[in-house]
Amino acid sequence: MTRTRKPGVSRRATLAMMGAGAVTFATPWVARAQAKTIKVGMPTILSGRVAQLGTSSRNAVMLEVEKVNAAGGLAGRQIEMVIRDSKGQPQEAARVARELVNTDGCEILIDAEASSGAFAVHEVARDLGVLCIHTNSETSSLTADPKQHIPNAFRTARQGVHDSIVGGSYAAAIAKAKGLKKWATCSPDYAYGRDTTGEYVTYLKRFAPDVEIISESWPKLFQPDYTEVVTKILQAKPQALYSCLWGGDLTSYIDQANIYALFSQMEVFAVNMADYTALTVVKNLPKGIHSGNRYIKTYPATPENAAWGDAYKAKYNEYPTNWSWENATAIMLLAEASKKANSADGKKIAEALRGLKIKSPFGADGTVTMRAEDQTLVGYAIGWGTTIPQEPYVPQVQAGDWKTIFELEAEWKKSKGYT
Amino acid sequence: MSELQADQGAQALDVPQPHAKTRRNRDVLIALAAFVVLALLPMVFSSKFLLDFVIRCAAYGLFATSLNLLVGYTGLTSFGHGMFFGLGAYGFGLMMQKTGVSVPVAFVATLAITFVTALVIGAICVRLKEIYFAFVTLAFQMLIHSTILSWVSLTGGDQGLRGGIPRPPFWGIDLSNHLHLYVTSCALLVIGLFLMHQIAQSPFGYTLRMIRDNATRASFIGIDVWRAKLTIFVLAALFASTGGVIMALFVSGAYPEFAYWTISGEGIFINMLGGVTTFLGPMVGTVLLLILNDTVTRLTEYHGLVLGIVILFFAIGLRKGLMDFVIEWYAQRRDARGK
Repeated sequence: MTRTRKPGVSRRATLAMMGAGAVTFATPWVARAQAKTIKVGMPTILSGRVAQLGTSSRNAVMLEVEKVNAAGGLAGRQIEMVIRDSKGQPQEAARVARELVNTDGCEILIDAEASSGAFAVHEVARDLGVLCIHTNSETSSLTADPKQHIPNAFRTARQGVHDSIVGGSYAAAIAKAKGLKKWATCSPDYAYGRDTTGEYVTYLKRFAPDVEIISESWPKLFQPDYTEVVTKILQAKPQALYSCLWGGDLTSYIDQANIYALFSQMEVFAVNMADYTALTVVKNLPKGIHSGNRYIKTYPATPENAAWGDAYKAKYNEYPTNWSWENATAIMLLAEASKKANSADGKKIAEALRGLKIKSPFGADGTVTMRAEDQTLVGYAIGWGTTIPQEPYVPQVQAGDWKTIFELEAEWKKSKGYT
Repeated sequence: MSELQADQGAQALDVPQPHAKTRRNRDVLIALAAFVVLALLPMVFSSKFLLDFVIRCAAYGLFATSLNLLVGYTGLTSFGHGMFFGLGAYGFGLMMQKTGVSVPVAFVATLAITFVTALVIGAICVRLKEIYFAFVTLAFQMLIHSTILSWVSLTGGDQGLRGGIPRPPFWGIDLSNHLHLYVTSCALLVIGLFLMHQIAQSPFGYTLRMIRDNATRASFIGIDVWRAKLTIFVLAALFASTGGVIMALFVSGAYPEFAYWTISGEGIFINMLGGVTTFLGPMVGTVLLLILNDTVTRLTEYHGLVLGIVILFFAIGLRKGLMDFVIEWYAQRRDARGK
């Protein structure tokens, strides 16, 4: 190769580059001065295995933000969302969250991270004192454990322990009615799978003491082949099977178990079945799988909920997910709290959020509440039903009883030493 | 590969300067100057983003440079170096959360834990060569990662160490103050780089290069190859662990991802970007990767595609890291002038 230009960087060019570098680092602070709009930062997972869920979170947030902005924004300030990918890595989630607040000037964080990422963002919120709403992490300890508690962090997601209580009591009723005593479990081998299954079994046994677990399988997360798991369960000949597999894992499992006609040989309880990401992907959805509701537009069976699901579908050409309603709820609560506080200030909104009850398409009785004591969402629609192979997929959902949930949750907290 | 290594050998085996002492004094001066410049940065630029950036550079820079001691200087391509990064983060985080000791004590204890672990793992691994070494280190990394995942009562499993890392002030330094954390990270980075440079320039460092180029010959001269490899394996682990401590302080927690193979992959990637034939190559690579990562993730969620293209450019286009390229280009230019 021949060089056409004299090699070397001139002094002038060097100075220019240094100057450019300095400007790059300094500009964000200029941008911050003009704060007519209010920036809301949102780290979430937009690439990798769960990108679909992150995208559905973003969609739901944008759907709601448009409505809030059309109605005047947060105390007169238009919301501007700044949404970034964390790749599902906690250190990136922490970095992005800090960057959103420190550099982009976001005054509120919507933390749409799963598991460890949510805890990483929680620490950022603790450090920076910024108002933060966790929208996707269902790990109970995030809000139940007093060590985690900070006044500026809230959660608008469902909670693992609520699911287990409702799931356990629903399953126990069926176990008693049908005489299902021998149970098997099959759940992904990580904290969510282990904890959720453990709690579910605890409550199942509590309501139906003669249930016994005769086989446990712990396939790896994102495992492609479930043959050995399916055959192991078939050999154990249980009367019922519980699984908290989700998303692609659940659909692969069902497709593979269908080959062995597993679903005609036992009652199956799959808590994550009734989500459109699973329902619409399974090739032959078996009839009669018991599932907890994730997001489904037929439950709560209200016109508001159906309208919300349809509006989402009309805009994005797919149905919302479990993460969608959780994120939409965050924006609805923010808007309502800001109205109540008549301010867009994080501290005042936080104050207004505590104990706030709002009308919601996702509420069990048409409302949801941000419980003041642990700053987590309660009163959301939670129930179980059985599947049919075509829309509406889960025609009848039996609602969970929030009174029971509260009682058993309090007991659970005590047993964990949280209260 | 062999051609490349031969090239490296020819360069690196330049006769060491006779005045080791003046050289060390010069290094001390450079290190001090670098530290002063870094410490003064916050006064010039008030951007917190810059501070975050430098703290992360310190964490990844120490990690990547220590990996280069293995890859570039000794020819040990470790695919499991990230385990020590994770070990540092977890060791320090757990020590601070569970025992309530002071920060320096926890830091030293973390290094001690890393030392013992690296000694055991290294003793098994460094007997192996090339791909076998790479894979066994990877296997150990996955072992540590799985242990972190399954030992839920201690490590919190895949949720990581939660509840924040307490950091009581010591010697007038309060690490919960962001500026203090920044200056401490800079100090650790500069001291770490200084020490690693001393190792690389010492007779021991030259022994390593000899082992890299021809291990059989080295052992015939009477060098205990196994012991030399083990020593550098353990030393490199200590610096990687320090990087992990900085990262744990930055995110105020520790997560299993820190000990996952992707961290080791990033280390190798950084070394490819920056170049393995110069001491500062990995540091340059770190800055490059972090700038790339931060700007690209701001703009698009298809960052994987962009980073992939960049790595292809370096691997197929330049066929070397950026620093290698710059040094060669500079040498060519000097030669041309000389003529």
